[in-house]
Amino acid sequence: MLKSSLNIKVDRRDAKLVMAHFYVAFIALLVGGLAGLLQVLVRSGKFELPAGIGYYQILTVHGVVLGLVLTTFFIMGFQLAAVSKTAGTFTNKQRTIGWIGFWIMTIGTVAAAVMILLNEASVLYTFYAPLQAHFVFYLGLTLVVVGSWAVGTTIILKYAEWRRANPGQPSPLLTFMALVNTMMWTVATIGVAATVLIQLLPWSLGLVETVNVGVSRTLFWYFGHPLVYFWLLPAYMAWYVMIPKIIGGKIFSDSLARMSFILFLLFSIPVGFHHQLLEPGIDPAWKFLQVVLTFLVVIPSLMTAFSLFATFESYGRSQGATGLFGWLKKLPWKDARFTVPFIGMLAFIPAGAGGIVNASHQMNQVVHNTVWVTGHFHLTVATAVVLTFFGVSFWLVPHLTGRKLTKKMNKLALIQGYLWAIGMTFMSGAMHAAGLLGAPRRSSFSEYGGAAQAAEWIPYQIAQAVGGSILFIAIILMLYIFVNLAFFAPKGEEEFPVGEAANQTEKAPMVFENWKLWLGITVLLILFAYTIPFIDLIKNAPPGAQGYKLW
Amino acid sequence: MAKAELKSDTKTEIEDSSSLKGTLVSVFFVGFFIVVLWVGVYFLYLDRF
Ligand SMILES: [Cu+2]
Repeated sequence: MLKSSLNIKVDRRDAKLVMAHFYVAFIALLVGGLAGLLQVLVRSGKFELPAGIGYYQILTVHGVVLGLVLTTFFIMGFQLAAVSKTAGTFTNKQRTIGWIGFWIMTIGTVAAAVMILLNEASVLYTFYAPLQAHFVFYLGLTLVVVGSWAVGTTIILKYAEWRRANPGQPSPLLTFMALVNTMMWTVATIGVAATVLIQLLPWSLGLVETVNVGVSRTLFWYFGHPLVYFWLLPAYMAWYVMIPKIIGGKIFSDSLARMSFILFLLFSIPVGFHHQLLEPGIDPAWKFLQVVLTFLVVIPSLMTAFSLFATFESYGRSQGATGLFGWLKKLPWKDARFTVPFIGMLAFIPAGAGGIVNASHQMNQVVHNTVWVTGHFHLTVATAVVLTFFGVSFWLVPHLTGRKLTKKMNKLALIQGYLWAIGMTFMSGAMHAAGLLGAPRRSSFSEYGGAAQAAEWIPYQIAQAVGGSILFIAIILMLYIFVNLAFFAPKGEEEFPVGEAANQTEKAPMVFENWKLWLGITVLLILFAYTIPFIDLIKNAPPGAQGYKLW
Repeated sequence: MAKAELKSDTKTEIEDSSSLKGTLVSVFFVGFFIVVLWVGVYFLYLDRF
């Protein structure tokens, strides 16, 4: 009884901390979205950037601001809300650590953003050496990572407190999931922190003259792949736990959800080589090993797909649906909290299939560095993940601000989701197609000296501009909805949906909470997959590279 | 004849309320999509390299 009365609403003070994260995230959506619009317009060949602004500068803005800022701030806020709701209100000390983390991240973000806007850091989203940015850019990124560790500490402390107070009990599912993602993030960010602090920062300050490019790229991708799962797992939290409650159904299995999260923790990190399949300096045998580990991540992804279909079908049949697909008709299509994330789930089918192609070792040659890859991650992070985050915002923002999602806003939210689906079909579809025809990614408009092959790509670039423009309209609509829910919607109570498992008597095995075991296996897998190739990269390194500023 | 119909109706009902047939077909569809895309790019790869 105590527990149920404790957690009806997220505490006001915790809500403020969450909303602070969301304000930054949605400002990032505006800035990054605008940069994206400019990119597709430039690439159509019909538009040139004014005032000497460079294409690669806005490309950096788009990637950093959406890929790193929007995602990290939204996720941190969302996970804080999920933990506060299910494990209880944060103590003052825990909340203070969270605020410190928020401000460190924000200061770092502003520092990095200013450097990009001053055109001192047009090193693209992946900031590969030997492209060299101003040292303040690297410092800013370091602060974002350090700040995120502080916010993560808040979650870890709350989890530990809950476990002490409830010995022998499995933690609440949402808290468990937020904790897994926090741990994965912490282990992964060590890689990017290492390359920035040990290599890039001293190099950009002129303390050392050259940098080992192979090592820096390897450390980046040690972080870069789990980064995409850091984006995805919060979406999975919403799919596994919140969507069942929103449609009025049940979670298919609590234990299955926990197991898939543990598998993501184990297999998301020792797989960075699948981004470096065409790089010299890494033995193909080690690439192959990491390809195999990458394919193991397919297992929890398919478990998730199965579990979601099962939730939908069980609910539909409980409402009297018959036939093979009658249950589809019973789903609440008029509810944006369901439909918008559902569009994201659908997008994840081609997104995941494309990812399997990308990771297939030799086959990577077909798509490597083509705009196919850009099309791919606009389906994963920029549709599956982002539409789920939008779907979460539709109820979480009013829940936190003590307002209601009105019928009118719900309708706008649906339109927003449909527009996104249409715009992304054009943009991502055209990117995939042009990529198969060889169109490069990360490159401004060019006719390549009138080459016949390059001329084939231009119609697809026009299609991307059409799709990108529709997406920008959807972004404006989303910002309007966010501002409405944060400041103007009528006062009221909006539910924080937390689903229940179909089988309430089934208690999740306690082995899932054995972090010594899971973190131990994680570390072992990382050491196994990385130690020897890493020694190779250092011992047999070519001469280091000086810094380049090509913009 | 009438009896047989009645019988089959009840059977469908029981099956329908807890069946996960649609889920099975759906995950097969996802698997099929993955295989088709993969094989398509695989032949492109063989063709080009
Ligand atoms: Cu990856």
